[in-house]
Amino acid sequence: MLTPLQRIKKMRAEAINRIIGKGYLSTKRVYVGMATCEIAAGSSEVMEVFESAIKNGLPDVYLSKKGCAGRCNLEPTVEVVEEGRIPVKYGKVNREKAKDIIERHLKKGEIIEEWVIK
Amino acid sequence: MIKQKTKKPDKFVITLCDGPTCMHKKSKDLETIIQKELDKYRIHNAVEIKLSGCLGMCDKGPIMIVNPGYTMYGSVHEKDIPEIVENHLLNGRPVSRLVIDEDHLYNRFFRIFGDIAFFGKQMRIALRNCGIIDPENIDDYIALRGYEALAKVVTDMSPQQVIDEVKKSGLRGRGGAGFATGLKWEFTSKAQGDAKYVICNADEGDPGAFMDRSAIEGDPHTVIEGMIIGGYAIGSSRGIIYIRAEYPLAIKRLEKAIALARDYGLLGKNILGSDFSFDIEIRLGAGAFVCGEETALIHSIEGCRGMPRPRPPYPSISGLFGKPTLINNVETWANIPVIILDGAKWFSSIGTEKSKGTKVFALAGKVKNTGLVEVPMGTTLREIIFDIGGGIPNNKKFKAVQTGGPSGGCLPENYLDTRIDYESLAAAGSIMGSGGMIVIDEDSCMVKMAKFFLEFTQNESCGKCTPCREGTKRMLEILNRISQGNGAEDDIDKLERLGSMIKKASLCGLGQSAPNPVLSTIKNFRQEYEEHIKEKKCRARECVNLVSYTIIEKCIGCGACKRACPVSAITGSLKQLHSINQDKCIKCGRCFEACKFSAVVKS
Ligand SMILES: Cc1cc2nc3c(=O)[nH]c(=O)nc-3n(C[C@H](O)[C@H](O)[C@H](O)COP(=O)(O)O)c2cc1C
Ligand code: SF4
Ligand code: SF4
Ligand code: SF4
Ligand code: FES
Repeated sequence: MLTPLQRIKKMRAEAINRIIGKGYLSTKRVYVGMATCEIAAGSSEVMEVFESAIKNGLPDVYLSKKGCAGRCNLEPTVEVVEEGRIPVKYGKVNREKAKDIIERHLKKGEIIEEWVIK
Repeated sequence: MIKQKTKKPDKFVITLCDGPTCMHKKSKDLETIIQKELDKYRIHNAVEIKLSGCLGMCDKGPIMIVNPGYTMYGSVHEKDIPEIVENHLLNGRPVSRLVIDEDHLYNRFFRIFGDIAFFGKQMRIALRNCGIIDPENIDDYIALRGYEALAKVVTDMSPQQVIDEVKKSGLRGRGGAGFATGLKWEFTSKAQGDAKYVICNADEGDPGAFMDRSAIEGDPHTVIEGMIIGGYAIGSSRGIIYIRAEYPLAIKRLEKAIALARDYGLLGKNILGSDFSFDIEIRLGAGAFVCGEETALIHSIEGCRGMPRPRPPYPSISGLFGKPTLINNVETWANIPVIILDGAKWFSSIGTEKSKGTKVFALAGKVKNTGLVEVPMGTTLREIIFDIGGGIPNNKKFKAVQTGGPSGGCLPENYLDTRIDYESLAAAGSIMGSGGMIVIDEDSCMVKMAKFFLEFTQNESCGKCTPCREGTKRMLEILNRISQGNGAEDDIDKLERLGSMIKKASLCGLGQSAPNPVLSTIKNFRQEYEEHIKEKKCRARECVNLVSYTIIEKCIGCGACKRACPVSAITGSLKQLHSINQDKCIKCGRCFEACKFSAVVKS
């Protein structure tokens, strides 16, 4: 019989495996803020843009929603985490900007400086 | 833990802890030495150095984080710098002997510190996962050691040991009153009753506050885990989350989290295979401010009107259905798993002597970066407003900061260096409250500000006791009179007398604190009240009746104002100086907004 502590450690290993199974180890990870305030600012649309890009074949990107990081005046926010690079946070992202982030950042590796939260 | 980097990243960011302990251990000198080394290799362009507040690892200070990769170095000595620069920055090989690889629960934020001015002085304990994990995916939470504190408690700790740990941590209630959490747990655990309840107060009635909602939306499992641990500690098997119906997304995420936790065997019968069982249900509140008060909240869950009752007996002794009940705020619950895993000793090293840990604030009003921030207790108001908040926009002057919502007070400039903890804020004449923080600039009228909060509490008074019901109404009448330019000489005295009477004679915290915004603005901005009364003047030009609009020589006669005026108070022919008929003008301010030539002036 496993103790509760042993059980949770096992569950943790399984959870990590499932997350990896969903593509967590992709070279690029995209997080879209999806709290009430972010959604009110339009983050659902932004999420859709990324979702459909991935469905239509954008390779090697792990997409996830996240809660409010606290940047209320800069919402919706999108964070791009890449292997070996400083994570980048974009503020006030809309549908068009999201498309540009896909084209320029995710496909070509260019950081779009003017939208980066500093 | 350490990944060997094969290719050198575009750019490094080094974060040096600039907190009091690390600074004492010479973190500042390190900065100079790093700069020197960077110069030596001519790589200063590829490295950026940033400073942060205390990272919560003071005993291992000075702390230095290298990103990308989130490599955290501890006890960094001057002589280690050349090695770190050469091996890590130049060759992409972290210096493993200096790396701290303990898996702490907090401060994951430094992984995504792109905007370090905002996050640098923050420390995230309650909000540690907010903005990091997918709140609807329990795996994300478990992957970051979620429910491990619960497992540890049911495996290795007796209920009394859990209570002792919470007591030792020094955690105090984050819902406003600041009562010692461990002590409350102990009272409830010792109280006699065949059943006991655990409640999470997620009512969050303060206007403008959204800390609890965000905490739940961003990381619902933390609150659930905290509550189960609380249930274990006091010997309860039933938890209730009382949340207002206006928070649909938070409710949806809670429901989902509860269902998933049950599926995973983390909630319900025989949690994680132990003999401890505990389940949680959600109750929706209709959204009355007073229902956040604990006794009113309990009545509301019982199906009665949410009206407060006198205490004692406290809910710990006689709460829901007369049974011992442990009620804590969302943020209080969110701290529990961290205290269990990282230890009371660590937790109590953060903060001030009597206020331990961190506090979440909803920073709003006239400040550049509005948002949700979590800082160690003892951070000053100035640091929050200027370093994190980025100061006042549009080159305006800071005037005051309102803390504690409708129960709190307004503090002017000379209080900016007040450290935020329960005692210091109270001594300054305000309160910590649940964490609303509204910054006010020179364009805001303090009488109007006081009126706004009093209007709110007056509306929300449950009406059970006369001082609160009638007294606040009378105070509001006086304030209205003052802001309309009809104030009498003795009105300020009347407000003060009424206010202190209401505070003393009201039954619950709502009435007891309702006069605070008025009393504190009178104390700190008395002159503004006097100007309204004696000179019929509102220096912020916010009190409509005390403002008048006129058109000055700058007018080019474009007619935009005339078209904007809803009551045709403006006359003038094209290309001629226009003028406003003061008798007709209803002071809506539309002409002021319409004029592109600053020819309409407000006075
Ligand atoms: C008028 C009034 C409103 C309150 N509203 C809330 C609230 O929205 N959320 C909350 O946690 N506590 C609120 N409180 C405080 C609660 O009565 C109680 O002190 C708190 O839930 C205890 O939890 P804590 O010890 O974790 O802070 C309110 C108190 C008063 C008097
Ligand atoms: S103080 Fe106000 S809110 Fe509280 S019980 Fe009395 S009337 Fe109701
Ligand atoms: S909008 Fe300004 S410039 Fe134009 S007519 Fe009115 S006051 Fe004159
Ligand atoms: S303040 Fe309003 S009512 Fe008065 S003149 Fe201007 S537009 Fe007309
Ligand atoms: S002061 Fe640096 S970790 Fe606390």
